[in-house]
Amino acid sequence: MTKQDIALLRGSLPFGALLTGEAQLVVYSYDGASARGRPEAVALPGSADEVRRTVALCCQRRIPYVARGAGTNLSGGSVPLRGGVVISLARLNRILAVDTATLMAVVEPGVVNLKLQEELERTGHYYAPDPSSFRVSTIGGNIAENAGGPRCLKYGVTTDHVLALEAVMPDGTLERFSGEDAGPELMSLMVGSEGTLGVVIKAWLRILPQPAAVRTVLAGFPSVEAAVRCVSAVIAAGVVPRALEALDRVTVETVEAYRRAGYPATEAVLLIEMDGTLESVARETAAVERLVSEHGASEVRLAQRAEDRERLWEGRRGAYAACARLAPNVLVEDGVVPRDRLPEAVRRIREISARHGIKPALLFHAGDGNIHPNISYDERDLEETGRVKAAGQDILRACVELGGSLSGEHGIGTEKREAMRWLHSIRVLRLFRDLKGAFDPVGLANPDKMFPDEGGGAEDGLVRPERPLSAQARLLVEKVKAYAGQRRPMVVVGSGSRWKGVPPDCAELLTTGMNAILDWDKGNFTITVEAGVLARSLRTELASQGFYLRWPDLGGTLGGILASKAWSGLRQDVLGLRLILPDGAVADLGGKVVKNVAGYDLPRLVLGSWGTLGVIADVTFRLHSSARDIPACGEPKPFAAGIWQKRVKQVFDPGNLMNPWFHPTGLSPSSPKGSRPPFPERA
Amino acid sequence: MSLQLSRLLTDLGEKSSYDAASQCCRCGYCEAACPTYVVTGDETCSARGRNQLVRSLIEHKLYEPASAHDALHTCLLCGACTAACYARVATADIVLEGRRMLDAKTHWLAHLLSRLMAEHRGWLAFMLKAVNVAKRLGLTTLARPILRVIGLPGLALAEEHVQEAPLTFLYEVLRRRPWAAQPHWLYFAPCGPNFLYPRVGKATVAVLEALRGGGNFLDNDCCGLLAYNYGDVDDARVLARRNIARFEAAGGTGPLVGDCSSCVAFLKSYPQLFLSEPDWKMRAERFAAVVRDVPEVLSDASLPEADLPTTTYHDSCRACHGQGLKEGAHTAIRRLAGASYRELPESDMCCGGAGAYAFRNPGISDDLIKRKVGRIAATGARLVATSGTSCLIQLAQGLKKYYPECEVLHLSELAARAVASGRAVQGAKDGTQAGA
Repeated sequence: MTKQDIALLRGSLPFGALLTGEAQLVVYSYDGASARGRPEAVALPGSADEVRRTVALCCQRRIPYVARGAGTNLSGGSVPLRGGVVISLARLNRILAVDTATLMAVVEPGVVNLKLQEELERTGHYYAPDPSSFRVSTIGGNIAENAGGPRCLKYGVTTDHVLALEAVMPDGTLERFSGEDAGPELMSLMVGSEGTLGVVIKAWLRILPQPAAVRTVLAGFPSVEAAVRCVSAVIAAGVVPRALEALDRVTVETVEAYRRAGYPATEAVLLIEMDGTLESVARETAAVERLVSEHGASEVRLAQRAEDRERLWEGRRGAYAACARLAPNVLVEDGVVPRDRLPEAVRRIREISARHGIKPALLFHAGDGNIHPNISYDERDLEETGRVKAAGQDILRACVELGGSLSGEHGIGTEKREAMRWLHSIRVLRLFRDLKGAFDPVGLANPDKMFPDEGGGAEDGLVRPERPLSAQARLLVEKVKAYAGQRRPMVVVGSGSRWKGVPPDCAELLTTGMNAILDWDKGNFTITVEAGVLARSLRTELASQGFYLRWPDLGGTLGGILASKAWSGLRQDVLGLRLILPDGAVADLGGKVVKNVAGYDLPRLVLGSWGTLGVIADVTFRLHSSARDIPACGEPKPFAAGIWQKRVKQVFDPGNLMNPWFHPTGLSPSSPKGSRPPFPERA
Repeated sequence: MSLQLSRLLTDLGEKSSYDAASQCCRCGYCEAACPTYVVTGDETCSARGRNQLVRSLIEHKLYEPASAHDALHTCLLCGACTAACYARVATADIVLEGRRMLDAKTHWLAHLLSRLMAEHRGWLAFMLKAVNVAKRLGLTTLARPILRVIGLPGLALAEEHVQEAPLTFLYEVLRRRPWAAQPHWLYFAPCGPNFLYPRVGKATVAVLEALRGGGNFLDNDCCGLLAYNYGDVDDARVLARRNIARFEAAGGTGPLVGDCSSCVAFLKSYPQLFLSEPDWKMRAERFAAVVRDVPEVLSDASLPEADLPTTTYHDSCRACHGQGLKEGAHTAIRRLAGASYRELPESDMCCGGAGAYAFRNPGISDDLIKRKVGRIAATGARLVATSGTSCLIQLAQGLKKYYPECEVLHLSELAARAVASGRAVQGAKDGTQAGA
């Protein structure tokens, strides 16, 4: 940055809102992780317009910048690796509105999660995401990281509670995104993008009324396996606790040494908390009590009053504290595996720990397969730090090998960038990079985060279990490749329930051949199905075995339902999908785990894309153990692409080959009207 | 050259200042508790930032160490961060170490004051009285512009904020009164009650006599906090040794009760001053073990209810964070005020008084007192009680400016009222019985 840059920034902000002293820069050079990078200036804007002006100036002067909330990030995501400007949003801390009639809160990004909770409590409401840092972390940071927390087992992570966003885009313009927008779902792309695609300056959040009753059960188990089996049994019994937490023996011993919480000295301890109406909670608690006993729990305690429940939670809440007192630093890893693989994950973590000579305390959000090994160390001891970090990486690798992910809620930041190669193919990593480039061509918004640089090291390091495509899907891939080679426009056709007919000159890609159930994981309540499967027949088959989709009764193929986003609530249950890209490459997006923040949220981006970004080959859903009657909704409307959707299209399908009529004027804003095929007839 | 402590007594045991600062793992959980971060939103004014800067200073990682000056000098030393921290990182002590590293020389005024306190108390008392006479005559107002011109705006501000100007100091009153031959307690007169609020000290002594019988006055020196915070550690040690010796000469049994929470918290931390002198450390530990603050004494006392207007309570930082006395203080005030009591939201957030802070950092201090007075006004209180001298000064000036319907008193003063009215009730009862 030049002196002129500093002067311009200073001029665009109120007096005292630009910091440049050495000490002032040092305190913005870190977050909760170990990475360091010193900014050249720190901006403390006090209004959305000041944020916009700062970003616009950075864009104009080509200055890299990082938006920052409370700086509690555990993956180094808010560290300014390239210097430039840190834009602190701490002063944008107003709760703009709370509307209990529509169950919505409107907040600025610097609002601390706890402050929002306190405000909502006054009217008997709450905001579901509750990351452990909720006392200090900000809503803006929670959105950037797609934060979770114990409660997200039942209520979902941050993205499930964001209704709309206003963001300053990297070009300095303001843009609003909503979950109801037609077309590829950009709001989902923004949530969890770690500040690489823009700066959120306002958020519309879903709030919930507080439940009438809450009960907590604490149970000690003779083995982690027994505890995990019990967790699966609880969920199979139709109980969805609002929190389902586990601690291993090392954690319990560490906590007890610090503050006697009176936890049983067993191999694993489960904390299960139910909420809802008085009757449902009583019923669910009875079921849970029976199940934990059946699975060999040695000690079971029950609490209903708030202070008694708090006592049961004391050990869980004190776990991080206990580790933080053992040594100056704690590495908190954040791996996710399919729930039933937890025992194996624990076994492998123990092997890895023994190999590196470390002793992690394991904390699990057991209900969603999210493991947090807490490893205490002193960062001033370089040799120890090296071992701890190596162990952390090995643990993540093991999680990926078990079909899981690198991060459930902490994000990728700087610390896990290289590890992304284990989880994502070269093609998917390129998609991430290209999307970043499409939104931020010069690469100024939080650069060098989330995914590895191109080229550096062995690009293809995939260790995630391979899933072969079905013969039908392979056939379709070959077709796409052939048409793409001929630069021939293609039309994705399912059962023809939303449109029929194929425009002239277009090649037809019929998906109904892909109609197999690839993986029905009854223990994990997930299913992977090919896109040509008819929704109604799948529904019948699932119901016959006691599994349910919580959607309205929608007709047509699954692919069609997703591509047209026939119901906006779909986004809650889609965990992953495979997309045949317009050049014939296959992108494996998301996974089988219910919490996953490793990379941009592409599965949700594809929702509503109407086949313009690729052909959905198969999809992985979350299943439910009870049905919910959701009224049918109106027919989805095709979309007219906005500027950012056009840029997304450019990344996925630069030749505008798939369902090209959605972009009748071509992709470049300046290109003349192309002669694209007309829109097909509605069914 | 100001000396450093170099070693600190932390919740995790004795550590070098470097280890103590390095214990901060930058998790940031202290940020919401740090009053200066809450009002500025600036990481430079946060506990985490200050710990990291002191660590950088020790590691010689700053090219311009002086740039850390503001960060360290905006710290209130309230200790809210330590209470919020899992590892109880002792930010206040660490910040002071950083300040001592940074400021090669003690400010001459702080040096002068602590020398006067330590060696020439008669002179100090004389000068203060002269100032107080002038203040009563309204003459000191005239000094404000002069003080500002000669580079002492803090003193001018202090003159403006401090509304008390006693002409008789507490120790003079206490020396003249009779004491018990077999004292059940000892009274330690902190400088605040001594030189500014004699009425607080008198109230404390009256309450102690009513609750615990006869006691004695230690006729102590300054606790040394002024020297520790703004001057030389060695001056603080001199005062500490003298107070310990005087306590031992007075029989060496407690409880030793003081009525300024900052002072009392510092008395309790005397052992930290003598980590390299095992003999004195032991004596300091015996001393610290019997020191009690007013909220502690009152929490387990059977107090009658006082006739009070709507009352709320502000926790002095060094009582609630420094000594963990929040619960005790609230038990006492609830008993004293009964149904007139209203809980104060954010009662344990600093009011911005913090010793000389209000005079050195008027901006942040005013933001804090405005926030505090706003919370007080929201409870509808007509009376707010607290337990520290700085809080009394700061709340008095803040209330006068922003909410004059409300007054501030020391917890002891409320207790003294209750005890007096209780005695009156008792007397009336006895009278009735005798009459019958």
